[in-house]
Amino acid sequence: MNGRVIVMTSGKGGVGKTTATANIGLGLAKHGQKVVLIDGDIGLRNLDILLGLENRIVYHLVDVVRGRCQVRQALVKDKRVPDLSLLPASQIDQKDAINPDQMRELVGQLREDHDFVLIDCPAGIEQGFRNAVAGADEAVVITTPDVSPVRDADRVIGLLQNELGDPKLLINRMSPDMVRRGDMLDRGDVLDILAVPLLGIVPEDEEVVVAGNRGTPVVLNDRAKSGQAYSRIVRRLLGEDVPIAELSGRRGIIPRVLDSILGR
Amino acid sequence: MSGAGAQLFRIKGLKSGPTFLFDDQAEFVDIIAAAEEELSRASGFFRNAPVILHFGNRLIRKQDWQRLKELLLREEMLPRYAVAALQESRDILYREGLPVRDSLPRLTPHGRREEPAAPSGNALYLRCNLRSGQKQTFAGNVVLVGDINQGAEILAGGDVIVFGTIRGMVHAGYPDNTAAVIIALSLTPLQLRIGPLIARAEDNPKRSRRAQQPELAYVNEEHIMIIPYQGKR
Repeated sequence: MNGRVIVMTSGKGGVGKTTATANIGLGLAKHGQKVVLIDGDIGLRNLDILLGLENRIVYHLVDVVRGRCQVRQALVKDKRVPDLSLLPASQIDQKDAINPDQMRELVGQLREDHDFVLIDCPAGIEQGFRNAVAGADEAVVITTPDVSPVRDADRVIGLLQNELGDPKLLINRMSPDMVRRGDMLDRGDVLDILAVPLLGIVPEDEEVVVAGNRGTPVVLNDRAKSGQAYSRIVRRLLGEDVPIAELSGRRGIIPRVLDSILGR
Repeated sequence: MSGAGAQLFRIKGLKSGPTFLFDDQAEFVDIIAAAEEELSRASGFFRNAPVILHFGNRLIRKQDWQRLKELLLREEMLPRYAVAALQESRDILYREGLPVRDSLPRLTPHGRREEPAAPSGNALYLRCNLRSGQKQTFAGNVVLVGDINQGAEILAGGDVIVFGTIRGMVHAGYPDNTAAVIIALSLTPLQLRIGPLIARAEDNPKRSRRAQQPELAYVNEEHIMIIPYQGKR
């Protein structure tokens, strides 16, 4: 097997990298893909919480790199979908506990028996970012439709483009009502500035917060709008041609019925 | 502190401006090494400073200039012009986009410095988007097909023409050429600079400024003016 290695990154913190990694990873695994998630945020690990796996961690990334255990010993299997596993970050080490070469080697091992390796990149563009990006061959850049995350996303795209080509863009926390009032950048504004292919748009949704606190990613919730959005993003990553619906606040009954029939 | 390197490469504050003097006898590789050492000791002091490069009687080859240019770019320095006694050196440097003259300028009675013209037949042509954190520096004119995003910069000795949107910062006519212009299909910059002048975006724009037509920025009586670009001026 030669799995796809995708780094999930953003530059800015708090735009939903880890949430997106958890949801996309879980979604891919639900489709029968063998997926491993790497928490690249050494020192500030979070991905285990969003997945509800924090009580099962024995070894972590730095243990593997230092040779204190085998890779498969450190992998935490998901409690719902057996095809998903997590390689947790260390909570006590610093970002410089590993280097890009070690990351490349680790990722090389993992891709041999997984379809997807998703790397959750820490915020910033320093050592942690360079480590997370090192082993990847694709990137997804996550931003919210706000001015400063977009500028940081732009910076990151510039850094990625040399090595990985155009990353795909995920716009998170889009609020249709605010866009309509002109208080938020719309999708056109964001794409104008960033000029990279769009992977999907996730609407602002309280369910995401609830899901994160409970450790059950929202992609498992078919009724949540954000969960549906993540399901569509997963299908796009698998090569399906799923149209990206224009998000709007209040819509007439007819388009909504059409959407549900067409599965948008 | 001043070793042998200091002889090969010297920094002087002359009346015409800060000047880098390159020894014209030694191997150029050694000179580059000396310059690298000196500039790292200056630790960024000359960042963005308009410097004059004085090559004396040296015959500058294209690869010499390339290597020096890399160093200058790394140190974020913009050469204002080069002084070279040999016509052959001047030709090569001019073709590489650097204004040239044969000797240091004498100050005119009014104390004004004479500037050699930027090479008009030579522009830096770029086809890409400049993203946040990216910067392009060039002593002559710059033509960019693409956008300049917020957080990106262009610093040019001559005009800047952008077939795209300027959202970031453009400095044309660096350091003091007020005849330079900036033209863009869409001009919504945070800041524009021409020569020594700075114009910035309104603090509280009543409407978001989204120009529907190409615009031209130029200097009119000590102010940067922006007008619709009609294809001539």
